[in-house]
Amino acid sequence: MHLREKLAKLWAYGSMALVAAVIIFLFGYIFQEGCQTLTWEFLTQPPGGTVLGSTGGIGPAIAGSLWFAGMALVIGGIPAIACAVYAVYFCRKKGVFRLIRGVMQSISGIPSIVLGLFAYSLFVRILGLGRCILSGSIGLGVMILPFMEVRAEKAFLEVPKSMVDSSYALGCSRFYTFQKIILPYCKGELISAVILGGCYAMGATAPLMFTGAVAYAKSPTSIMEPAMALPMHLYLLVSQGQASMPAAYGTACVMMGIIFVSNLAATQYARRCRAKWHQS
Amino acid sequence: MKKLWDRIFTALITVLTVISLLSLGFVLYFIIKEALPVFREVSLADFLFGQRWSPVSLNGPPAFGIFNLILGTVYVSFLAMVIAMVIGLGTAVFLSCVATERVRSFLLPFIDLLAGIPSVVYGFVGLNVLVKYFIRLRVHTGTCVLAASIVLAIMLLPYLVSACTETIQKQAELHLASAEALGLSKWYAISAVILPASRKNILLSMILAVGRAMGETMAVMMVMGNANLFPKLLGKGESIAALIALETGSAVAGSTHYHALFAAGMVLMVLVFIINTVISVIRNHYIR
Repeated sequence: MHLREKLAKLWAYGSMALVAAVIIFLFGYIFQEGCQTLTWEFLTQPPGGTVLGSTGGIGPAIAGSLWFAGMALVIGGIPAIACAVYAVYFCRKKGVFRLIRGVMQSISGIPSIVLGLFAYSLFVRILGLGRCILSGSIGLGVMILPFMEVRAEKAFLEVPKSMVDSSYALGCSRFYTFQKIILPYCKGELISAVILGGCYAMGATAPLMFTGAVAYAKSPTSIMEPAMALPMHLYLLVSQGQASMPAAYGTACVMMGIIFVSNLAATQYARRCRAKWHQS
Repeated sequence: MKKLWDRIFTALITVLTVISLLSLGFVLYFIIKEALPVFREVSLADFLFGQRWSPVSLNGPPAFGIFNLILGTVYVSFLAMVIAMVIGLGTAVFLSCVATERVRSFLLPFIDLLAGIPSVVYGFVGLNVLVKYFIRLRVHTGTCVLAASIVLAIMLLPYLVSACTETIQKQAELHLASAEALGLSKWYAISAVILPASRKNILLSMILAVGRAMGETMAVMMVMGNANLFPKLLGKGESIAALIALETGSAVAGSTHYHALFAAGMVLMVLVFIINTVISVIRNHYIR
């Protein structure tokens, strides 16, 4: 074999092996180190100790993260799906479609930390909401909006045009068609877009830093309270130094576990829904 | 009755779309509006090319120059893209030309798992593993631009791999069989025909990756060292995103410092915007 061919082959096999090794290492490392701190108490108790996280657990952070992700889905997810429906089914002018695309692209180009800065100065400071779940979720919501819009749009575009057109031709209204044809067809994709959006929001730290996540809080009971969040908690634990390292591994492990499981569930669900439609 | 529902549905979707477009437009407007006041006190040239950033006047007047930070951001993103490209392109070649359909449909979602990991976890692992290696290599405190680039490269991998695999697979379907029929060996065909044919699309995903990398905050901030210095490969550096994350909490609201942070964010936004525009121009004019 020529040297060039050998090198190319070596490069392809080598990079694949390296990538696989990195992935296995990342998950293995976090899960192995994290498992040692995972107990029922760790998952439910609030953090404690003179150095944050040297004792106690991450109960309120898990609750807070779920609140943040849920609120972000309400604030960002509903408009995202509405925009996608509008772009695919309602808009007749090419210009409007381009405008939606353009806005989504520019928003997805805003770095998440700048969105955090935006939410901080408008909602926390000017509107005086203070640090609370609502302010943080608005930043997160704007962040996941284009992410979800693109996925929802892709799901809607995958619905065969012939089916939609036939439904219109039979005199069905747009709402009826949406409810009976479009929604069932891309249910799997839509739900997986929602779950992935939620995961994205749950893992983000930057938009929460000054807007809603705090070092210590009880499990939230309303959206006007500040709360703890898993990624922010991990960041704070890391900056505390050695005493809170076990808790940091535990937090990272829980976060990766939640995201890993939801990712898997989302893709499997989407695959099963698709298989059902393509059979019949 | 049915008509009524249809009307409500149409109105709801339209209103929601208009509201979300308007509020997203407002986000852009607000960031720019909050950024502009800084230029009343600092000239644009001083802001972009000034080397000194000292928002509080301890000795001498306050200075707002983000030149080192811009360089740091571009440097770390570019380096990360190069590292990710070398590995990602190889992986894409493997996935599209070597792996069977079944192996590919298992490996692609497996690599996509990387995209789901929160950036703070990358920073955490980078700090605990990579930085310790760099300390052993006698780098002061271990945090440096190279470490940040490696962490960032891993974060970019899933996007690059999936984009490149798609492109190369298309080219392989077009050319691989005919190249082999002409008597070329598979690996010669890959390196001499398929890769050059996918060059343009690969270039696009490279630029896109740089844009994505520039906005990354947490992972970069945790391993880059955060010192406002001219970035060197094994020296500390700071990115614009890290600057905003570190200083917003301590900036007096409404002060020049505060507006300067917004302006730094705007610069970052403009950089990403330029990259995205370049991509769409290339896509529309040079690639069919």
